[in-house]
Amino acid sequence: MQPTVASSRLRKILRAGAPMFLIGLLAGCLLPPEPKTEVGKDVFNLYIIVLFLAGIVFVAVEGFIVYAIVRYRRKPGDDTLPEQHHGNTKVEIIWTLIPTVIVFILFGFSMATLSEIEARSENPGVVVQVDGFQWDWTFRYEDGPVFNSEGGEPPVLRVPVGEPVRLVLNSLDVNHSFYVPQFLIKRDLIDLGENGRDNELEFTITEAGTYAGQCAEFCGTAHADMKFVVEAMEREAFDEYMAALASGETPPPTGGGECSTTIEIKANNTQFDIGEFEVPADTDFCIAFENQEAVPHNVAIYDGGEATFTGDFVNEPGSITYNVPALPAGEFRFICDAHPQAMVGDVTVTE
Amino acid sequence: MATTTLEPRAGTYQRSWVLDWLTTVDHKKIGILYIVNSFLFFFAAGILALLIRSELAIPGIQFLDQNTYNQAFTMHGTIMLFLFIIPALSGFGNYIVPLQLGAPDMAFPRINALSFWLLPLGGLLIFSGYLFGGAAAEGWTGYAPLTNRSEGVGTDLWIIGLALVGTASILGAVNFIATIFKMRAPGMTLFRMPIFVWTMLVTAVLILLATPVLAAGLIALFIDRNYGGSFFDPSVGGNPVLWQHIFWFFGHPEVYIVILPAMGVVSEILPVFSRKPLFGYRAFVFATIAIGLLSFSVWAHHMFTTGSVLLPFFSFMTALIAIPTGIKMFNWLATLWRGKLILATPMLFALGFLSMFLIGGISGVMLASPPIDFHVQDTYFVVAHLHYVFFGGSVFGVFAAMYYWFPKMTGRKLNEPLGKIHFWMHFIGFNLAFFPMHQLGLDGMPRRISDYSPDAGWTLLNMVSTVGAFMIAASIIPFLINVIATFINGEPAGDNPWEGNTLEWATTSPPPPYNFDRLPPIHSERPLFFLTHGHGHAAVRPEDLEETAEDDVERRDGAV
Ligand code: HEM
Ligand SMILES: [Cu+2]
Repeated sequence: MQPTVASSRLRKILRAGAPMFLIGLLAGCLLPPEPKTEVGKDVFNLYIIVLFLAGIVFVAVEGFIVYAIVRYRRKPGDDTLPEQHHGNTKVEIIWTLIPTVIVFILFGFSMATLSEIEARSENPGVVVQVDGFQWDWTFRYEDGPVFNSEGGEPPVLRVPVGEPVRLVLNSLDVNHSFYVPQFLIKRDLIDLGENGRDNELEFTITEAGTYAGQCAEFCGTAHADMKFVVEAMEREAFDEYMAALASGETPPPTGGGECSTTIEIKANNTQFDIGEFEVPADTDFCIAFENQEAVPHNVAIYDGGEATFTGDFVNEPGSITYNVPALPAGEFRFICDAHPQAMVGDVTVTE
Repeated sequence: MATTTLEPRAGTYQRSWVLDWLTTVDHKKIGILYIVNSFLFFFAAGILALLIRSELAIPGIQFLDQNTYNQAFTMHGTIMLFLFIIPALSGFGNYIVPLQLGAPDMAFPRINALSFWLLPLGGLLIFSGYLFGGAAAEGWTGYAPLTNRSEGVGTDLWIIGLALVGTASILGAVNFIATIFKMRAPGMTLFRMPIFVWTMLVTAVLILLATPVLAAGLIALFIDRNYGGSFFDPSVGGNPVLWQHIFWFFGHPEVYIVILPAMGVVSEILPVFSRKPLFGYRAFVFATIAIGLLSFSVWAHHMFTTGSVLLPFFSFMTALIAIPTGIKMFNWLATLWRGKLILATPMLFALGFLSMFLIGGISGVMLASPPIDFHVQDTYFVVAHLHYVFFGGSVFGVFAAMYYWFPKMTGRKLNEPLGKIHFWMHFIGFNLAFFPMHQLGLDGMPRRISDYSPDAGWTLLNMVSTVGAFMIAASIIPFLINVIATFINGEPAGDNPWEGNTLEWATTSPPPPYNFDRLPPIHSERPLFFLTHGHGHAAVRPEDLEETAEDDVERRDGAV
């Protein structure tokens, strides 16, 4: 093979390879969040297949366009006509087949995934009616509690992990849509009148944690504020929580599961009962806070002038357990935000 | 040889030029009116887009409160689609289709004028909501029952304005269909029509079938809002999903109404600037018709998450559209193959169209898969997709048409260096503004939100997108300078500056009233190629030379 041919071959490969590389880079980013539901995993896998096919099509077509621009550019002063191709039936039939094949592959995979998503379990772990309205949510459990938004915080949907969760999606006014990005799924809430059937959505969350969700169907003025949180907990914690709610006690902590360290703090006569405490660095911990008087108090942790954690207020005699996110090693202060002068102490976070 | 001579109407008195433009029924002047009007609305809707992007650049409410924001994107979407992109393409159609057919005017010149003048009227009505307590704010799709229940006259003005604009389009469509079937020059058989004319024909048929459905829906909505009707409001027995069916039965063909003429423009430009014929002319025509037909069977892919539609059917039909679209893409690529590419500005925009429409097409096929749609429906992924089709596709097509036909319309050629600056700023700005939106959507950022949390992790990409939007806006400056400077003192273009092969290049620039003094013989879809490169040239197919029986019939019943 002659060197000129070889080098032009190499250039060709580079020309095709460079955009391919670029697309590889881009495609690495073009991913949905890591799925936290079982159906989400199916959607994610399907997406990867589709993205891969899309990448091939893009690179092939875009690569050809760039190649044609470089290769077939008219030389200055060249006034001759190129050969006048009007068409070629054989080629045209072949390239009709290419998109046809891709379409059928895609459709096959989509339908397979779709049947996974639409599958309904006999015995869902929990059934919750989701009421969407302008511009908030209410979560109603079968013969159980009702969760609303409180104090401007988005409402929380508490569900067990590892079991099918079935939502009955009911709109009280205009259309809304229940969407949690990390679940990779959404479904509309549409009021279909007296004879309509509500949409249902079923998924199994695979990992305990809190997930932000938001209305995805435009529903008027404050649509952007129509948020909620899904809190997925282990079955035990979930049952405890619900039992506590039913008996009227303050429910145990939720979220991060169990606490490795729990600090007990009491407040009375506008005083904390302790002046300092110590916790390990880089691990979540809990504060079991008991307010013993009818004066609002809370516990917040400050790093200098900046709050790193702010606990909810307890306005009357009662208890609450705060989940405090991990702190780095160092010195902090704990304060009641209502009485920062009188109620203050030191926190030592040790390695 | 077919020769057509036409006497211009004798004008014995001089009318003022303002009156002349206000009362004109000349398709060329009306075409220019369409284009100018469209660009004015484009700038208005573009300013709204900049407001939207400024608000979203960083988290927190900066400039627009929630209501103002909701009005901004509703007006932006409505105006861009109904008063910019569709009329801009119709404007080029108005100017170019009769010329390409060798006709003296549109079939119904007065209806043509009427259908133009309804547009600014409708557009101003839609905008006038701002004067009466706020414009419509339900999104361009106006979903029920939100639209049933919203207060304020803005939404009523939006309905009436859209109904007028829809009427204008229907009248225009009738006119195009009549012109294309009845006004072709002798020898101009259907399969010798330029592709742009074909796409305008299919578009006109789509408008004629789809727009009345929208009009009916709008009237029903107006009755619901003002006369106690109950079509769409579930609290009084209506069905809100019915609105979505009606809207998208119109709305999806609408997407092709917007993209087909742009495909036509590109199919004119690529061959001329590659110095080759369009590869696979007939396949292209059939693909266009196939897309038109399929576009009526896919509407519910906008409704996958409603839980009220048959997913496999609509998913499959939607995916099928990829086939004729793929055929077109291959035809365009094969047209470039072994051509002699001239990278003038119209060609740059046409190649830009290919690349950007490719991305919009691919994300469209991804959305056709219901499971994927369940994740990204109503997120910024869809916003990215729709702009890659409408903006990367149709708007690039409009600019390509502008640079390509401006010499014909004014007799002057737009400046090339300025055109190239415009193109590159536009192209880079466009991708900066819209590519990141794919990722935002995958990350779960819903569309139509005026604000987002700083913890959501969407801040950086939103910032990038806003920078891109301002870059697009800046690219309009060289474009405007170019148009104005060329208008005043541009390089004279001559009759056929690009060596085009279709009939519009066979007359003067700009053409005289009634267009042609005489027409060349028409033996193929490239009559001028035939003229310049003559008989016996290797490139001329033997069948181009044959006089067919069809020609004789055409000649006898000559439409002119
Ligand atoms: C300067 C260029 C443009 C920018 C920066 C821009 C930006 C945007 C953004 C950010 C949105 C989403 C708003 C939201 O959901 O909150 C949007 C929506 C939209 N845009 Fe554009 N856009 C531009 C040009 C265009 C063009 C040329 C068209 C059509 C020809 C168009 C059609 C639409 C439509 C139909 C919507 C949906 C409106 C709705 O949700 O009701 N845009 N645009
Ligand atoms: Cu909502």
